[in-house]
Amino acid sequence: MKTLLFFFMLSASVASQAADATESAHAGIPADQLNFFEKNIRPVLVESCYKCHSESQKVKGGLTLDTKQAMQLGGESGHPGVTPGNLAESTIYEAMTWKNDDMQMPPKQKLPDDVIANFKKWIEMGAPDPRETTVVNSNGGKRVIDMDEGRKHWAFQKPVKQTPPTVKTEGWAKTDIDKFVLAGMEAKGLHPVRDADRPTLIRRIAFDLTGLPPTPDEVRTFVADQSPDAVKRVVDMYLDSERYGERWARHWLDVARYAESSGKETNVLYPHAWRYRDYVVESFKKDKPYDQFLKEQIAGDLMKSENKRDQAEKIVATGFLAIGSKGHNQRDRRQFAMDLVDEQIDAMSQSMLGLTLACARCHDHKFDPVTQRDYYALAGIFLSSETLYGTYSQLQNANPSTLIEIDRAANQIASLAKLTPAEVAQLKSRYAEASATATKIREEVRSQSMASRDSQSAANFLRVRSSFDRADSMKADMDLFYDDGAPRTLAMGVLDRTTPVNTPILVRGDIKQPGDIVPRGLVEVLCAKGEPLNISPQSGSGRLDLAYWIASKDNPLTARVMANRVWLKLMGSGLVTTPDNFGTMGQKPSHPELLDYLAVSFMENGWSVKKLVREIMMSRAYQTGSVHDAANYAVDPDNKYHWRMSQRRLDAEEIRDAMLAVSGVINYYPVDGSPVARAGEGRTGIIEVLREVNSNPQTYRSIYLPIIRDQIPEFLSVFDFPDASLVNGDRETTNVPSQSLFLMNNGQVQGMADAFAQRIAKFEGDPQERLSYAYQLAFGREPTAGEKQAISNFWTRFPQEAAKNKSIPKDKIQGMALSAFCQGLFASAEFRYLN
Amino acid sequence: MNTVSPSRREFLKTTSSGFGYLAFAALAHQQALHGNPAAGPLMPKQSHFPARAKHVIFLCMQGAPSHVDTFDYKPKLVADAGKQAPSAAGRYGRATLMPSQWKFSQHGRSGMWISELWPNLAKHADDLCMLNSMATDLPAHPQAFTQLHTGTTQFVRPSLGAWTLYGLGTQNQNLPGFVTINPPGNATRTFGSAFLPAIYQGTKVGGPTIPGLPAAAARRFGGGTEQATVANIKNNRFTTEAQRTQLDLVQSLNQSAMQQSGGVSAEVEGVIESYELAFRMQAEVPKVMDLSKETEATKALYGIGDGDTDAFGKQCLMARKFVEAGVRFIEITHGNWDHHFNLKAGLERNCNQVDKPVAGLLADLKSRGLLKDTLVIWGGEFGRTPHSQGDDGRDHNNKGFSMWMAGGGVKGGMNYGMTDDYGYEAILNKMHIHDWHATVLALLGLDHERLTYRYAGRDFRLTDVYGTVAKEIII
Repeated sequence: MKTLLFFFMLSASVASQAADATESAHAGIPADQLNFFEKNIRPVLVESCYKCHSESQKVKGGLTLDTKQAMQLGGESGHPGVTPGNLAESTIYEAMTWKNDDMQMPPKQKLPDDVIANFKKWIEMGAPDPRETTVVNSNGGKRVIDMDEGRKHWAFQKPVKQTPPTVKTEGWAKTDIDKFVLAGMEAKGLHPVRDADRPTLIRRIAFDLTGLPPTPDEVRTFVADQSPDAVKRVVDMYLDSERYGERWARHWLDVARYAESSGKETNVLYPHAWRYRDYVVESFKKDKPYDQFLKEQIAGDLMKSENKRDQAEKIVATGFLAIGSKGHNQRDRRQFAMDLVDEQIDAMSQSMLGLTLACARCHDHKFDPVTQRDYYALAGIFLSSETLYGTYSQLQNANPSTLIEIDRAANQIASLAKLTPAEVAQLKSRYAEASATATKIREEVRSQSMASRDSQSAANFLRVRSSFDRADSMKADMDLFYDDGAPRTLAMGVLDRTTPVNTPILVRGDIKQPGDIVPRGLVEVLCAKGEPLNISPQSGSGRLDLAYWIASKDNPLTARVMANRVWLKLMGSGLVTTPDNFGTMGQKPSHPELLDYLAVSFMENGWSVKKLVREIMMSRAYQTGSVHDAANYAVDPDNKYHWRMSQRRLDAEEIRDAMLAVSGVINYYPVDGSPVARAGEGRTGIIEVLREVNSNPQTYRSIYLPIIRDQIPEFLSVFDFPDASLVNGDRETTNVPSQSLFLMNNGQVQGMADAFAQRIAKFEGDPQERLSYAYQLAFGREPTAGEKQAISNFWTRFPQEAAKNKSIPKDKIQGMALSAFCQGLFASAEFRYLN
Repeated sequence: MNTVSPSRREFLKTTSSGFGYLAFAALAHQQALHGNPAAGPLMPKQSHFPARAKHVIFLCMQGAPSHVDTFDYKPKLVADAGKQAPSAAGRYGRATLMPSQWKFSQHGRSGMWISELWPNLAKHADDLCMLNSMATDLPAHPQAFTQLHTGTTQFVRPSLGAWTLYGLGTQNQNLPGFVTINPPGNATRTFGSAFLPAIYQGTKVGGPTIPGLPAAAARRFGGGTEQATVANIKNNRFTTEAQRTQLDLVQSLNQSAMQQSGGVSAEVEGVIESYELAFRMQAEVPKVMDLSKETEATKALYGIGDGDTDAFGKQCLMARKFVEAGVRFIEITHGNWDHHFNLKAGLERNCNQVDKPVAGLLADLKSRGLLKDTLVIWGGEFGRTPHSQGDDGRDHNNKGFSMWMAGGGVKGGMNYGMTDDYGYEAILNKMHIHDWHATVLALLGLDHERLTYRYAGRDFRLTDVYGTVAKEIII
């Protein structure tokens, strides 16, 4: 562990000084007291404590007990270990007595009572201790964070506009980006491979921008277009496509840990989360400036709006803070609130700043210059806001909340159909009935005799509880509609509380151990020295200040982190390979100047993501081939220097969407909202959703599939859909047998292969032309001679083998073979890898 | 596990045939050329120190079995029956100490106290290492169940099985390395890999696919596994030969793709390899799961064919077959141990369903020489209170409960740790879930402080910053 390493480093210097320190300085300690210490105290310390609390062994909790000073100072809790003559101020004594549930030492077995009595006596006599030495670290074991030193970390300094380097190789570099990349290659003795051919390039561009394969027509046009503007034209075409927003929104949803349920133990549904998803799609489609996009997600409710519609959009944006996973069955409201805030800080800091600020919840950050003050200053901001996520009270949900109702005049789309007034009346009467029944049952239980109540306690409890749960679920249904039957527009999000609060630091993150109160504020290391950190009392919660501070050109991280995310998605790996961690434990950038160049030009271009995407795509570095090169490979096997385009496995959504598109059944216009919204709140809803999704094949794009935590649709989860509770800027791409089994045997895949086969069968032309059509659809190219041979072998052998199964009618064999062939194309590596 | 892993080439030789073999041979040749003996992520790995156990079978009793009625003998609870509970009162009313309704007696040479609920298991007393001082953080099922599997009540973290697979790999590349039989619905975290690569997650066999459905609920409460299988393991359209023809086409296309990318592509190689593994799994998994070839005597040993013990018996037998086949970690979940009321009937029913199959499993493993290498674990997420809840129930108790382990390098016939006179709280050698995790890993040859994975900028462990190995229980 790194922490131990740190302490070992510390201990080396302490040890050398300790050797110098003599223990002869016994002056002033009476002989009988010295004797008492040597006889009753020291042996116990050596025997029972040093293993975990000494410089030479371990320093748990920042506490060392092998010198007088360190022992008196105490550990990370900030409380003195021993205060001579004062038992109450001696945490070591308290720990020994095991009176505090959270601090019982030694942890495995309590010391004998007479030993504890000796310690009591010793402290009361003034804790005489001959183990004098100088204490090197006046904070005890606690790490001291030097902010000036901390600000020197590369990522905490503002990006500087860089001039492209000069390169030796002439003629290769087309854009500034290329000069940076080429210079990197030249420094390592690498050379770029040849450019990608046209069919490969358009396939790459189409998937990267839309998540879908190019149509055969698009490929034909592009291959035929010999003008110098051909690439730019095709890039612009896809950037302007409706499909671009759906593809790029998904990248953000990965880092926003988007899902439509709470996850964790109870996993209650969030039927209104989809509004946030649609907001993200719309934002990317419109190319909303990224700084604006971030501000809205943190404090959209506090920003000025142009009209009701705009206001609604900004409120929905704050859903970012409300959709995280939560333990709804937490009985301690305060603990729930702190966990919620922790989740918000974690998601916000990792996604927007590339920092793991949540690490500072229990102690100062172990690696980054982030203190507990920083953490609780931010926590105060979020605690001063109310997070609204919906759900209603149930046996396993002790933490429901309301939702934000959006003005009807904002004219938002709805997931639910309008009801008739009669149906509304029916909902109301059902609720009234259920509510009356619940009250009646409670009265019945109350009127039972004490004795029978005791013996029936658990059963009674459940009876009352379930009847109220039922009434609450009816009320939740009823509250979804206006009296006239129109569905209300409800959204998840945050609103400021009337009175902002500051929170104390919690020692070890424990709500039972509050320390000093911290004013609401910003993260110190990211502010210039001397800049005020605290939120002014006029600012309410301070969320708006936080939003502007993050989405600022002065913030050294924000633009860099996003530029790196975009680079990663297009180039296969990030300039910083840890996209969610730019702290000291993250990786250093492979091309720091290029990263700065991209970040600065991103900001100069008005934080336009589309412009950034276009700039990268127009570089020759993006347009190179992906072929192997032995000499380059020997030097840079990971392709850190981008001497070729890395082969990219399509994301789960792309694989599914491509199958739908190729088989011709894709539906670009699903019903508004989400199946989760139609299933309603509560836990039983999950069954409804999965039933809807599993019973009939869905043909809409994967981004609109219901994302229920721990119940991710199989098609997505099998191809490495990320854990929807965690920020994830770089998906895994595994090759596991479960994927092969899925492609070989799953009914959904077979169904799409059937549809693909029908499309081919209907195509007018001879067998060669049909084969060519299938290849154009699936791969955007013609089959090679070798492939034709393999396909011809398949056509000879497969029908023979299939015919051995006598239960298959003869006239079905050809159709089956065609479907098996189409499934084979889906299953091939080329279908799911981009060159 | 302290042997050197077989080289990739040997592995390829032993496991491949037909077209796949050619593909593999080409692949191995390329790797030799490029000096890249990249072992797959599931290949057996060197443990940190010599391992006592090579396999784990975790019999997970969901709902928290009552320890004071099974494995934690408390004569004083009988003596003080009816007295006010010294521990915190029950949540639903005034609580008094409730004696166990079942008789305890001593078993084996060790004289281990076991209640009459376990007549068959009791015969194996001298193989059991009884952990009487278990403790966990919270007395709430979902959190404690998650902590039992991942060490944390709060965060999304990899499960014990995933960590094990990550640390050790697995011996049979034709089967998944971590199998979870009949997992409860909505508990994917108990076999998930979280931030570990997905390949380390558990493969589900049976269990509800849609949580909450009545049929699924029935299965979860000790139901059958007739349809239990691995997802997508069977092709319902083609004969094996016809499918092989289809797969040969796919592999030819993959070869072609490889040539187009200059003859070297780790990605395409991965695809080719993955198909061959999947194709072999299709043949292998049903074989392992097919219990029909087992002798009648073996089936009887597990209680297969008897109504009450049939379902769990089959699952236990399947676990033995998975161990034989080289699977690293097998978990079986048995539900419905949450006896707030109906303790008498409920606990009797559950023990009856589990006792014979578990005893059969131990006997069978032993007679095949597998027990010494296989760590069998039995337990739930916490225990139950010594005081009553209503007339016939016990409430949740996280401060002290019992689990047991057998085989795989643990001392048999041993009681480790103890609770107070009533069984409320662990007072000697308290074993928190973190300590238990550390100990299980140690038995597998893994140092819980060194088994780390770098995620979000820090090295994570199953035991976080906790965990002490209970060396006393290791042979």
